[in-house]
Amino acid sequence: MFRNQYDTDITTWSPAGRLHQVEYAMEAVKQGSACVGLKSNTLVVIGSLKRSPHAELSSYQKKLAKIDDHIGFGIAGLASDGRVLIKNARTQAINHKYTYDTPISVQRLVLQISDKSQVSTQRSSKRPYGVGLLISGYDEQTGTHLFQTEPSGNYYEYKAIAIGARSQSARTYFEKNYQTFEEADEETLILHALRALKGTTGDNVELTSKNASISIVGKDRKYKLIEEEQLEPYLAKLEENAAATTEQQPAEQQDDVDEEMVQ
Amino acid sequence: MSSNGTGYDLSVTTYSPDGRLFQIEYAQKAVENSGTVIGVACKDGVVLGVEKLIESKLMERNSNQRIFNVDYHVGIALAGWKPDTRQLVNKARKESQDYQSFYGTKIPAHVLTERVAMHVHQATMYWHLRPYGVCALISAYDEQGPQLFMVEPSGTSWGYHGCAVGKAKQAARTEIEKLKFTEMTTREAVKEVARIIHLVHDPVKDKDFELELSWVCDESKRVHQLVPKEVKEEAEQYAKEANKDDDDDDDEEDEDEELVDSGAQ
Amino acid sequence: MSMDNFGLYKLMHEDAPKNNNPLLEQPTLAKTHTTDPIVTGTSVLAIKFNGGVAIAADTLASYGSMARFRDIERLKSFGKYTIVGASGEYSDFQYIEEQVKQSLIDRDYQLDDGRSTTPREIYQYLVRVLYNRRNKFDPLYNVLVIAGYENGKAFLGQTDYLGTHFEDVTLATGYGSYIAQPILRKFYSEKNGNITEQEAKDILKKCLTVLFYRDARAADKVQIAVINDQGPKIDEPIKLETQWTFKGF
Repeated sequence: MFRNQYDTDITTWSPAGRLHQVEYAMEAVKQGSACVGLKSNTLVVIGSLKRSPHAELSSYQKKLAKIDDHIGFGIAGLASDGRVLIKNARTQAINHKYTYDTPISVQRLVLQISDKSQVSTQRSSKRPYGVGLLISGYDEQTGTHLFQTEPSGNYYEYKAIAIGARSQSARTYFEKNYQTFEEADEETLILHALRALKGTTGDNVELTSKNASISIVGKDRKYKLIEEEQLEPYLAKLEENAAATTEQQPAEQQDDVDEEMVQ
Repeated sequence: MSSNGTGYDLSVTTYSPDGRLFQIEYAQKAVENSGTVIGVACKDGVVLGVEKLIESKLMERNSNQRIFNVDYHVGIALAGWKPDTRQLVNKARKESQDYQSFYGTKIPAHVLTERVAMHVHQATMYWHLRPYGVCALISAYDEQGPQLFMVEPSGTSWGYHGCAVGKAKQAARTEIEKLKFTEMTTREAVKEVARIIHLVHDPVKDKDFELELSWVCDESKRVHQLVPKEVKEEAEQYAKEANKDDDDDDDEEDEDEELVDSGAQ
Repeated sequence: MSMDNFGLYKLMHEDAPKNNNPLLEQPTLAKTHTTDPIVTGTSVLAIKFNGGVAIAADTLASYGSMARFRDIERLKSFGKYTIVGASGEYSDFQYIEEQVKQSLIDRDYQLDDGRSTTPREIYQYLVRVLYNRRNKFDPLYNVLVIAGYENGKAFLGQTDYLGTHFEDVTLATGYGSYIAQPILRKFYSEKNGNITEQEAKDILKKCLTVLFYRDARAADKVQIAVINDQGPKIDEPIKLETQWTFKGF
């Protein structure tokens, strides 16, 4: 990427019809540690890899958030921007519950978050949110959903997806396996998520119960966060399975930018 | 870009010495990078068709929609910078509802078009905004019959019998001009629209695509909706067979630079 | 005092009873809202039956005690799964209908995302709107009955202009809450809630007849509607059969 005169202002179109500031904001998402998501007919799982600014001295930055009993967020990129969207989503969810006495529709929440993101790409006084979201949700009428949102205001719905640093290997993993996800049970989905996450850790970093976390939403159940010791059994299973089969994905290299703001 | 403004093209509120507004032209460029969108007005309705490029097989089908219901009698198909499209759709929906509340009747197509166009135009008038990178095709069936309009990033709007925007707009326009859509029924037109989208799609340069089709016609009780599944399948079948014949003769490839930005598709 | 529908008499007339409160010395400056209804509908009745809900009302909108509009609809379908019946101020009901249609029903069509507003959502939304307006001292003067059938579940609830709301298996508003509700409740418990659609319609018709005899604001032209898995069906108005040849008259 080279510098040019069209890339410093959010309200400037480049001659090729591109918005460089928006594209740069999307780069911030790629700097954040990975988030992976996948779903079956009844469950949606999000997995995240957490970073700690000073390995032994600090805690790990949380990347998964509960919005409501049936909706979870995973963030990659500027964590503080992420929290703004999380807070906004929680407010919307609770207002919906108050007004309609039913859980907010995840599709419509995504729509509103994305519309909000778009606005900051069209005003010179603003900057785009530097965060990408994975949004998991269950809806009584339409079943399970997994969305990805971008700083641009775009959103997509996926069967399985990964965002953040070195997430390409996770996407490749999902592309190979996604056809089996529809009928998969909870444990299988979690293991798939962890296996996908494993490919995103980078050199000399192990996937542990400290730096990994998993969230689940789904039919007839409430949002569940799995981390720390609760995650141990799954990691152990992952080891067993890895020993049994020698499957491996090529992890493509990328600079490991470890800025504190970017999680 | 044959010429650029060198300094006169950075703000939408700056004219170039020869009286051009380059920022609007650049926004138009975002539309030209987009998947092709076409619309045709027929005897008894209007058909919209979109070439929706699919970026990943992990993506859910039907996600990322490009044709929207605005009001029961109005639909809108959009080409260009994707996030901007929804903003425009929201605006159109609001104008339509406001009109209904105020006058107690459905908003006429030309009034809605004018209001949407005014809004798009507003974004070209202030330094703190940027023009919409979107072309909107508005299909409607009101008191004056089936109608088709297009709103451009500059805020200008025109009525059409048939029009096309996006990557393959030239080829699509040529195809539209070959047929007399105004004498066709919507049923027949759906097939032709499907055929044209399939024809102008470039499988070498572009990824897989999904056809999005909508109509507002007598058959749909003058309600804008996505074309029913059976009708769509029939149309796609027809499109594939019709295009099989002239598959061999156009195989030349032009090498443009590929734009990989997820906004314009 | 002649009819004072807006309650403005006290504010506008010098011969109005004086209020000794010095804060109210310039009453014409006080901001006022219409807190009394002008054109009103009387009772709405509803009862659940096996696989649906039946709801009924007459077609009269009164102007004070005058039978002013005798062929209006007080039962309206709100989308594919809900019927709302209204007593009280008719114009407020018309306003409510437009609001709900635009912000909920049309929205479902526009988004086309496979989701549609449920009867419970419409009920709760109306409760919030009415309660909110009451707190602004600018109430929408209605008692609304919300009947719905969605996803195999029947719904029946009521809210008034104060925002007081509840659900029940039988409901009656206005005068009907005194006259018809006991009849409906008795019927419902005698049948153990095991009621057919026809039985539900019949008992509503009976209650409407009783109301016509005893409620001076009721009319004998009525509509009965049913909501079930086939969606809402609001029948054309029918004329109640009445008998006035008693000796006592």
